[in-house]
Amino acid sequence: MTARTTPPAGAAGKAPGKAAGKATGKRRTTMAPFVFIAPALLFFLAFMAIPIGYALYLSLQGLRIVDEGVFGIRTEVFVGLANYRQMLTDSGFWAGFGRLGLYGIIAVPLTLGLALLFALLLDHGAARSKRFSRVAIFLPYAIPGVVASLMWGFMYLPSTSPFSYLTEKLGLGTIPFLDAGVIYPSMANIAIWGGVGFNMIIIFTSLRGIPPELYDAARIDGCTEWRIAWRIKVPLVAPALVLTGLFALIGTLQVYGEPTMLSPMTTEISQTWVPLMQVYRDGFIRDDLPLAAAGSVILAVGTLLVSLLLLKITQRRAFGGIQ
Amino acid sequence: MAERGFVRGIALAGVASLVAACSGGEAGDGVITLDYWCWSQSQSEKVDAFNAAHPDIQVRHTDAGGGGDSSTKLLTASRAGNAPDISCVEYQTIPAMVVSDVLADISEYTAEVEDDFSDEVWEMTRFEEEVYGIPQDVGPMVLLYNQARFDELGLEVPATWEEFAEVAADVRERDPSSHLATFAPTEFGNFAGLAQQAGADWWTVEDREWTVGIDDEATMRVAEYWQDLIDRDLVRPEPLLTPEWNNRVNNGHVLTWPSALWAPGVLYGVAEGQAGDWGIAPLPQWESDDRDVALQGGTALTVTKNSDHPEAAAEFAMWMNTDETAYDLQIADGQYPACIAGQEAAAQGPPPPLTGRQQDYWDIATEAASHTVPGVTWGPNVSTASDAYQDAISAAIRNGTPLPDALQQVHDTVVEDMDRVGFDISN
Repeated sequence: MTARTTPPAGAAGKAPGKAAGKATGKRRTTMAPFVFIAPALLFFLAFMAIPIGYALYLSLQGLRIVDEGVFGIRTEVFVGLANYRQMLTDSGFWAGFGRLGLYGIIAVPLTLGLALLFALLLDHGAARSKRFSRVAIFLPYAIPGVVASLMWGFMYLPSTSPFSYLTEKLGLGTIPFLDAGVIYPSMANIAIWGGVGFNMIIIFTSLRGIPPELYDAARIDGCTEWRIAWRIKVPLVAPALVLTGLFALIGTLQVYGEPTMLSPMTTEISQTWVPLMQVYRDGFIRDDLPLAAAGSVILAVGTLLVSLLLLKITQRRAFGGIQ
Repeated sequence: MAERGFVRGIALAGVASLVAACSGGEAGDGVITLDYWCWSQSQSEKVDAFNAAHPDIQVRHTDAGGGGDSSTKLLTASRAGNAPDISCVEYQTIPAMVVSDVLADISEYTAEVEDDFSDEVWEMTRFEEEVYGIPQDVGPMVLLYNQARFDELGLEVPATWEEFAEVAADVRERDPSSHLATFAPTEFGNFAGLAQQAGADWWTVEDREWTVGIDDEATMRVAEYWQDLIDRDLVRPEPLLTPEWNNRVNNGHVLTWPSALWAPGVLYGVAEGQAGDWGIAPLPQWESDDRDVALQGGTALTVTKNSDHPEAAAEFAMWMNTDETAYDLQIADGQYPACIAGQEAAAQGPPPPLTGRQQDYWDIATEAASHTVPGVTWGPNVSTASDAYQDAISAAIRNGTPLPDALQQVHDTVVEDMDRVGFDISN
């Protein structure tokens, strides 16, 4: 009510109230947004901008020996781009990205593919016990990554693995889950198992948002359920697929927990198996935070570039039809 | 998404430790409160005993994780200015901690305990008259072996490394599902000890000029020896203390563990059911008339530069490692004390449960402790060496490339790292 009556009132007292009304009104409109974004801005500054700035600053520093005490003391000095040079010429760091790539090629498409498949099945009219299935598929996502990695680790180790137990009883020997080559699918499996549920929910929610008239129209035109899924549902949930794809990609670039948890169980995983593990090692085990900062900056810039590239490629396909 | 929860957890833990650190210091009426990090079992009882005996100094104990984790945290906390007053540090990490400016020189307070430790033990915490820690426990190397399985297979305990290889071959012949030993690519300290026994000097320092010798002749000899055992499938190359390995120990498929005097306690933790089955023997030697063994592992109590009360902290460190109440608790926990009086007291007691039936346990232990390799120096970047070792040795085992080449790689990485940081290196 008040909102509706305000404009005429303002309009009526236009001439006299102009100066005063303008001043207070303006102040209100200029202050309000800042007040509203202040908490977010504060947190952004405190937990994003300042740490990023500090990481950039640190990455230009280096810990070098100065003559003091029995052995000398490592002291922070400015070293310019030496840390970046060291990281960029470190073949081990790049090999980490290579492993990440292999892992991602397995994990990302399978996670998305399975999530889409389950979402479509759950959305299918003939599906039974939907609620149970949805919870069952989503449940692994609720398991903390570290716990999931440990649990799968036990299921991979030859002497504790139930799978190897079966194959051994059948006289086929144990399954080398943690050996060269097989380690990639084994590792990806943990991420897929944990990630499918989350991605499925996003895609499923997006599917529920499609107006049912479209299906009716398609059915009248003689579409089979298969064609409805493929020609209508999938194109219409494309934005959700791009979103989940982006999450999966960023998740891949940040893989750390799974290999770290599995590394004591196999000689296959080195301390620098993926870039984040190397960043951790440099920063905390080798006590070289500046070098770790440089590694993190490189990883962050890489993630940004890859994300932008993905959005660029998929934008037309995903959003072009709708606009 | 899981990462986010993880990060949040770390942030919370950080806040918690900040709160803890802020509340340190003096708590009115002249009572000094000290924070102390250490991981072995008897610590909280020892701290309680100290607090009871010292009304003016109260110590709060935190278990900050095992050797590796704890030193990682100590470095980070020290850089953040909130390290505990006292922390346990493994001997091999002490020089690195000194170089990272974490530890305080406490030589002005330690005169009274000078004679409580042997010179070999002091060498690990005292550098050119500067004292960076009070030794807590030592690990003279011994051969821990499954006596029950040895008897069952009719095997003799090997006295030399040559015999060790022969026994390894016999084991494979008599029970193909068992191996005499494990070659663990993660056990840097263990291999360093084996190399030191053979005469290796991985680091030497004189007037701040370092010489690195991870590629020296003695090291290569040890590497070739183990390479040969791996090639002939006489030892099993795999990490130790994994669920897989523990399972094999419990099944009696791991017959020996060449390690140190702390090992019976560790193994008892994963294979309680084998209590009484195991025994210790002198570590095999390269020449049958040699008796020297290296020290593997072991820790000292160090005082940090962050501490506002170094004198009280040093007093605590000295009490914890020389007082009778303290070492009695330590011995009951299965640790072998570093102080002479503690070692004598240990020898009077029963053997640890894992080796509970062995009559001459303490004779062998004392023998090993009194013949340790003198003059071992650890470098300022042992953590770099240790993870370079793990990665290079793991890769060598995986790809079937020779161990000596892997050690050469470790050597190069260590030299490169020291050079980058700005140490004077002669090689």
